[in-house]
Amino acid sequence: MPDEIKHGVECTEFEALVSDALEGRLSPARKESFEAHRRVCGVCGPLFADVQAGQQWLRALEQVEPPAHLVHNILAATSGVVSTRPQVARDGRTTPFGERLRERWDSFSASFFRPVAAFVRQPRFVMSFGMIFFSFSLALSAAGVKPKDLAKVDLRPSALRHAYNDTQIRIVKYYDNIRFVYEIESKVRELKRANTPAEPGPQEQKENRKNNTSGQPDQRQDRNYSQEYNQPVLAALRAGAPITPVLHNGVVDASPAAVTTNRRFV
Amino acid sequence: MEEAQVVGLLVRRCVGGDAAAWEEIVQRYHRRIYNVCYRFAGDSDNAQDLTQEVFIKMYRTLSTYDAGKGAFMTWVTTITRNLLVDHFRKSKGDRITDSLDSAPSEREDAQPLSEQIADRALPPDAAVQSRETGEMVHLALQKLSPELREAVILRDLQDMDYREIATALRVPEGTVKSRINRGRAELARLLQRTYRQVM
Repeated sequence: MPDEIKHGVECTEFEALVSDALEGRLSPARKESFEAHRRVCGVCGPLFADVQAGQQWLRALEQVEPPAHLVHNILAATSGVVSTRPQVARDGRTTPFGERLRERWDSFSASFFRPVAAFVRQPRFVMSFGMIFFSFSLALSAAGVKPKDLAKVDLRPSALRHAYNDTQIRIVKYYDNIRFVYEIESKVRELKRANTPAEPGPQEQKENRKNNTSGQPDQRQDRNYSQEYNQPVLAALRAGAPITPVLHNGVVDASPAAVTTNRRFV
Repeated sequence: MEEAQVVGLLVRRCVGGDAAAWEEIVQRYHRRIYNVCYRFAGDSDNAQDLTQEVFIKMYRTLSTYDAGKGAFMTWVTTITRNLLVDHFRKSKGDRITDSLDSAPSEREDAQPLSEQIADRALPPDAAVQSRETGEMVHLALQKLSPELREAVILRDLQDMDYREIATALRVPEGTVKSRINRGRAELARLLQRTYRQVM
């Protein structure tokens, strides 16, 4: 700011006098020179206008009312003695219960919803929500669910109760039908069993197997061998064993290689 | 009985352990302190916390108050101001003194103040308009530097005189006047720019 002297007032001095001038504390002579400088100076004139406008803006601001529970919190945090006074409203009257309740609710909702709203506004949340929404809509359209069908859903309590009862009746009927079918099937099975000859029971078969002391493997074990029972088996004699000539088609044949048997060696 | 005498008596009773006297002090000053904190911090949650801290500090140091050194309100304002400065330093509040057209650093994708205010077209209803205007001024007030903000709050919102403000801020009276003038002018420029954009 240039320190020019105009009408007996320097620009720096003018700035110091602005507050007093706005509050009407200047003497008449001082005020006259101040006003003259303001009208002439291209820097101090707009400065004064801005300061005056700013003061008016600030003076227009109203006092804010603190939350109702603030005094209670302060007393609890300091003396620990909770106030016994009734809550007093702005105009001095006792605050009605409803208003206090509303203030509490406002305070609670502000403390609860504000962080939630701040979280929801984050781009990451919006992107995630969008992805989930599109996934669901794709899955529903793939499953054949149409929004029109959903719009037809009746959500009245009576309709919901009817739907619940219908579903319950359908389930009970289905269960009864299934039980009937099973009973019929078991009866048919019993009839079939009564008409066919009795077979030895599994217990009896087991006992037979225990009593079999012949040393022969049972039938099931036979099936595991590759050779059949009636196949010829070549047998070799031990060294030095006596060879008894046998008649083969009327001719005596003593060759060991020619000995064959239909007996099965165990 | 004068206000200063009443308060002096309350303080003496309170130091003597009278809980009712302390409650009287809280009832008398909590609204005023809350308003200073609200206008400085900018939001209700911080203002509540700060007001509570101010009273806790007051409660602990009430015995050190000397009525001969100054008014009780000046003493309370000094405590409040010190806590506000601490709060400002802790929360790195200098980011909110950016220029009007820069976006706040805590939300880089947010609109600048001029656009935030311009979004709010003034409705025809006078009461709503007044509230909206109040919000605009409050928002613009947060854009001032802490030194200018505290000076205009104490002068124009709390009606403290220059001497009391100088005592509370521990600066000469001339500095107080200069800060108040600069704060008012800066606020007016911010709001004029906003209004030009709205219109």
